[in-house]
Amino acid sequence: MHISFLIHNAYGIGGTIRTTFNLARTLAEQHDVEIVSVLRHRDDPVFDLGPRVALRHLVDLRENSPGYEGADPAHARPARIFPAAENRFGQYSELTDRRIAQHLRRLETDVVVGTRPGLNVHIAKQVRRGPVRIGQEHLTLDTHSRALKLALRSAYPRLDAVTTVTEADARTYRRTLRLPGVRVEAVPNSVPEPALAPADGSGKWVVAAGRLARVKRYDVLIRAFAHVAAERPDWRLRIYGGGAEKAALRSLIDELGLYNHVFLMGPANPLEPEWAKGSIAAVSSSLESFGMTIVEAMRCGLPVVATNCPHGPGEIIDDGVDGRLVPVGNPEALAGSLLELINDDAARKRMGAAALASSARFDPAAVAGRYEELFGELLARGRGNRLRGNLHRARGALLSGAYATKDAACAALRGVRTV
Amino acid sequence: MTAPSQLTVTGDEMKESSAIDQEPRVPASAGTNRPERPAEPAEGAPVELRADCIADSAGGLTFDLNAPQETPAAWSAALVLRLRGGDGADDEVRLPLGPNGAGCLRAVLPSTVPLAEGRWNAYADLGDGQDPRRLLPGLNDLRSLVDRRPLAGIGRLGVRIPYATKFGNLALRSWRRGPHAEAGDILVAPDGMTVSGRLYGAAPGAGARAEARVRRDPTSCGAAPATVTVPLTVEGTEFTFTLPYEELAARWAHGSEPWDLWLRPAEGARPVRLARLLDDVADKKQVFSYPALPVRAGAEELRVGPYYTLDNDLAVRVAGPAES
Repeated sequence: MHISFLIHNAYGIGGTIRTTFNLARTLAEQHDVEIVSVLRHRDDPVFDLGPRVALRHLVDLRENSPGYEGADPAHARPARIFPAAENRFGQYSELTDRRIAQHLRRLETDVVVGTRPGLNVHIAKQVRRGPVRIGQEHLTLDTHSRALKLALRSAYPRLDAVTTVTEADARTYRRTLRLPGVRVEAVPNSVPEPALAPADGSGKWVVAAGRLARVKRYDVLIRAFAHVAAERPDWRLRIYGGGAEKAALRSLIDELGLYNHVFLMGPANPLEPEWAKGSIAAVSSSLESFGMTIVEAMRCGLPVVATNCPHGPGEIIDDGVDGRLVPVGNPEALAGSLLELINDDAARKRMGAAALASSARFDPAAVAGRYEELFGELLARGRGNRLRGNLHRARGALLSGAYATKDAACAALRGVRTV
Repeated sequence: MTAPSQLTVTGDEMKESSAIDQEPRVPASAGTNRPERPAEPAEGAPVELRADCIADSAGGLTFDLNAPQETPAAWSAALVLRLRGGDGADDEVRLPLGPNGAGCLRAVLPSTVPLAEGRWNAYADLGDGQDPRRLLPGLNDLRSLVDRRPLAGIGRLGVRIPYATKFGNLALRSWRRGPHAEAGDILVAPDGMTVSGRLYGAAPGAGARAEARVRRDPTSCGAAPATVTVPLTVEGTEFTFTLPYEELAARWAHGSEPWDLWLRPAEGARPVRLARLLDDVADKKQVFSYPALPVRAGAEELRVGPYYTLDNDLAVRVAGPAES
């Protein structure tokens, strides 16, 4: 198969970039894979793409480059295809609209995969007849604004499939967007096997990692650890990551007198060696689109105590087997489950071993296999039953138009811009 | 003392360490005017060399390198460590690089090889006649350092912590201390701070005490160098002491004044610097952070609190109202 990914900026740092690179590298062992980056601001990508994946860009934003296009007047005019309600709208322009359209019209691949809503809209509207069109959702439908949902509803009927990272989000897509003939499939993010030995469960450390942002609720984790330290002062907590909440969390640690027990470690990359120093991982978030850190910790042999928040944790952790699920925003419950694992060495080690085994399902080979299967089935549908494929396209285009007209009418009444 | 050009530091911090992690100069023997950044892969340039480091609890390190396939390791291949800012004979250490499976090279730094205190940059000399190449960090498996607790009788303690520099290169921080006073938990209270810790390479005896010495520029103002002394409570090799904030505040002259902390294991014994070295954290200052509490000194309200210096030594800062 020839597979082409369309990504916002392959040269940055972020979850979507990392997980797309993992997937592309693994697929490239069997297929021809390219990543097309709309923007390029740096000479080399930060993450390792391996030798087989081709990488190119559509708009060059490197100021020191002879091909610099950031000053093109068309790049100062707003985009018309890329939806205005998308978070990244400000970085898109008439120039990106034009380049993406050119790229998609000429595309000779079997499969084209979009990696964010705005790019999925481009793919739905502009890919020439032929390639299978996939739109990936790396966040969740619920976290998008109403205006963006309307834009997606009018464009997505022309896709062949939408993939989400959780079953919960796939259900939301099926229920709220109603996309007849569009496969909606949950395929989790992948995490490679760490290149170092798993944790042995003997260290007296709880480890957490993520941006120091409100949604991660590290305040709840720190409050929970006050209970833990009162009962087991020999255990300590490390929180890896940087972010806006750092000063507030620092004051909370000082206020609770936990400065000998709770440590803000700053950002760490790679994280695997840091997980391996711990014996339990903790996740206190109120929302996780997927829960990448849960899988990372499990792949290092740690049982994870996590809040049962939407969307990922409950689909990753088997409560009581390879970790614990606790209610959101409840320090006492979080502390209770942490202490359960702290006070029972045998259970902790047993659950750590179970986490190591069960997290193998997130191996890039397994995840790429799910995509291969999906691509293969959609290709067969298109080829084997050209009539049905054409019907889907025709119906998609019609529905797309109908939704667009209806939504535009509704939006006009409300004064919302939908594209 | 070399002033690093890019980092904004206060005067206090300058005095704590001249070896701030700025990699300000190219090693003399490298010859060329190479920038201290990971080399851009120029045309025909070899692939970048990465080293995974595994630490053992005795203080030894094992380096595993991904070797370029096309250049088989020469007999003279070595992992080269160069002390930043050093140019003496002891400021370069060469460790033999031997084959370790397909495409891998290994070098070992045993705890018995002495490394002077400071920051050491890591290079690979593949024995191919080329200049040694700067190594990039791979996976640093430092789990055996996390709760490191050597035997208290150890004569001289060697600590080496590999880390990635600001520019993303591999370097080591090294300490050689003997005797050594390791700081553990610190409790801060309005009237003072209580430090507990463990003494290595010295047996506490009669007259054991902790000393706080103010760090003042001897040329500035006429204030005599002040020292505050408190007795040490000892149990085996474990110690605790409480340093009253009032005494430090009473000697405050102006601005933000750091006090360095020392232990005297016994009457007449050489003083030992109090530091926190026995774990995997290369830079303690940001990670081990303690509240500064208000203390009245006459009409002024000062703020007093412990902190770790850039060399991971323990100090106390007494700051005036304008400083906080």
